[in-house]
Amino acid sequence: MTLTENEIWSGIAVAGLGMVCWLLWLIKMKPEKSAMATSIGIGLTFSIGLLFTILIPSFNENWTDLTANHEPQYHATYLVEHGILYRQWPDGTQFQATDSLHPNGNIHSDAPEGTMLGYTPLEQYGRRIYQREGCMYCHTQQVRPLYGDEMRYSVGASLAVPADEREYVFDQPHFLGTRRIGPDLSREGGKYSDDWHYSHFFSPRQMVPGSIMPAFTWLFPDKDADGNPKPSPDAVALVAYVQTLGYGRLVNDPKVYPGSGWGPWLKPADQQLYHKKGNTQVERAAQPIHGI
Amino acid sequence: MKIQPSVQPERLNHEDLAAKWALWASVGYLLMFGTLGVITAIKFVIPDFFSNYDWLSWPRIRPGHVQGMIFGWLLPMYMAQFYYMVPRLTGTKLYSEKLGIWTTVVWTIGVAIGTYFLLNPANTLNPWLMTKGKEYEDYDTLSNIFLFVGWVMLLWNLGNTFARRKYKQMYAALWYTMGCLLWTAFVYLIGNWPSQLLPQYAFRGLNDANINWFYGHSIVGLIATPGGLGLAYYFIPKAANAPLYSHKLSLIGFWTLGAIYIWNGAHHMIYGPIPYWLQTVATIFSFLLFIPVFSVITNFFGTMRGEWHQLRNNVVLKFMMAATVFYLLTCIQGPLQALRAMSAVVHFTDYTIGHAHMALFGTFTLIAFGGAYYAVPRIYRKPLYSEGMAEWHFWLSFLGFILFSTALWIGGFLQGIEWTDPSISFIQTVRDVEPYWHARAMGGMMMLLGMFLFAFNLYKTATVPAPASTEGQISIAGGSEATATA
Repeated sequence: MTLTENEIWSGIAVAGLGMVCWLLWLIKMKPEKSAMATSIGIGLTFSIGLLFTILIPSFNENWTDLTANHEPQYHATYLVEHGILYRQWPDGTQFQATDSLHPNGNIHSDAPEGTMLGYTPLEQYGRRIYQREGCMYCHTQQVRPLYGDEMRYSVGASLAVPADEREYVFDQPHFLGTRRIGPDLSREGGKYSDDWHYSHFFSPRQMVPGSIMPAFTWLFPDKDADGNPKPSPDAVALVAYVQTLGYGRLVNDPKVYPGSGWGPWLKPADQQLYHKKGNTQVERAAQPIHGI
Repeated sequence: MKIQPSVQPERLNHEDLAAKWALWASVGYLLMFGTLGVITAIKFVIPDFFSNYDWLSWPRIRPGHVQGMIFGWLLPMYMAQFYYMVPRLTGTKLYSEKLGIWTTVVWTIGVAIGTYFLLNPANTLNPWLMTKGKEYEDYDTLSNIFLFVGWVMLLWNLGNTFARRKYKQMYAALWYTMGCLLWTAFVYLIGNWPSQLLPQYAFRGLNDANINWFYGHSIVGLIATPGGLGLAYYFIPKAANAPLYSHKLSLIGFWTLGAIYIWNGAHHMIYGPIPYWLQTVATIFSFLLFIPVFSVITNFFGTMRGEWHQLRNNVVLKFMMAATVFYLLTCIQGPLQALRAMSAVVHFTDYTIGHAHMALFGTFTLIAFGGAYYAVPRIYRKPLYSEGMAEWHFWLSFLGFILFSTALWIGGFLQGIEWTDPSISFIQTVRDVEPYWHARAMGGMMMLLGMFLFAFNLYKTATVPAPASTEGQISIAGGSEATATA
């Protein structure tokens, strides 16, 4: 069921008119003399608001439909490296993983281009770490359709694409966020290497002078053979999740992408630019994916 | 309902045991979560403060502070004052003092569990125990069960007291109390729906966000607001010893509050990934909130007509009137922030944090402080230990909060303006607001110092032996006049 905007506005107008009449009637009836009338009134006002702000929006198919094949927007692929499952640039050649979250079970292996993809178990585990460490209190995951936002989170010549309803269908809980004590993360994936992220989680002020991000040293409890802090499986999963953010977002730009016209929002030149960035202070540890 | 032969409410000897239990639970949690709040503010300027403890990292104590202040301090304090106010307004004894004590026990356990698993020293990932990860519904599902059961116990207790009332006509404070009790039950159940335990299709993504913000806004609008305003409707006329300005106005204010507030949740996602119409609806209804807000403000200021001179030495009225002014300010700020043009700049900045504190600290916590200074001497039938200390508490809270919130508004606005210019790097905008974070931490410390004075004053009031007096003999805040008559 989908309602058009006109239908919704008409419904709201009728409900609003009804509510005004009902409130006038209620005030005339002196509900302050009956506890029951007051309680029913309290329940009714609540229900009307709930209907329009929670229930009707929830039928929006872009919010809920996990299987709909909309116009091509998302495409992500994966790479297994050192036993770790990595989401890779969408060039269609990589290994694909079973996604336990997807209703069809194993959709990655034969997903047509444009199908929205869920998270791998590793990435889903990384989301839990993100949640436990409270990253969403300081970082939003929504780029607003405003000049400042699109420019600020752009990379090279690639303008940051504003948030789309369909980006969030697999998110439980949502990490939209309300405060940017640090920058928005929804277009963060791929901007920095995994090693950069490990170093940054271990010592934020070393990587970004003046940063006020907490140092998450407890994600690096052990040291490797050279005495460098070694990322725990939690840290590996967290970085795997952060690298998915905005990664597979496609835009339609026939000049850059001949053929279908669709391609990643980070244009090829900018992908190269950002792949080179990064720093190898912390060795990337080979972590098995089983047991996570 | 049959009107029974009326008993003068003053003649009833209220036990107030339930009120005492809830009172001390809330005061203890106030100090604890106030301290957490100050640590949160200090970590903005000294990021490595306590940085070796995972359970004291900023993102863990921040929800601990926010949730603790609402569920640990504000709601138990509301409960204590409801236990005090409702029997006196209905002319009957509280339905069950024992049930009231158990309510506090269940509630306190719920808050303790919730806080433990927000700080999460064991780093658990159990979906029943770990934070839900959504602002205002951070408490885990286990703690939610305790809090919901506690609230239903309160509802049962006060509902039965309402049913036994001696007067058919209910005063404004009583509808607001009923509204707070019922809306909280509905809102809490829907907002804390454990979607992480349900099949994957339920309430994920933007549905999750929409319910989150319905809840996040309702926790202020339909829980803190009706509860706090109900207490103010009782304590302002009582403390000023003046009749309420207008009965009809309070009626309009109450029903429009209930009809309008619930529609506002989506204004927390202006320019976000939700449909345009939903954002517009939220903006329109945010502006409609001027109706209940101005009816309340008019009523409170109207009640004070000819009584303003009392502000000089009546500390309860000082708290109440400061709260009314902050209520007016926060409710002018709120709708303006819901405008797209304003939201584009101040959304995601500290401006919002200042706004949220003006509602929950500036308005409702100040009302709760004022109500406590009025009720506690009467509960213990003793004069307040120190009126001067209460004055200090008022000025520390008031000036500390002005410093705190002004710093956040200016700093937030500046950062928002800087964000519109992509040539300024993000980290530069962070460095530029740092001076305001220093001011915020200073303001927060002043507020915390006031809270410690408050707790000490109440503790001394309850424990220092004083000549026994009846409730009627205690004057306005239980100060010099009462001592003189006693």
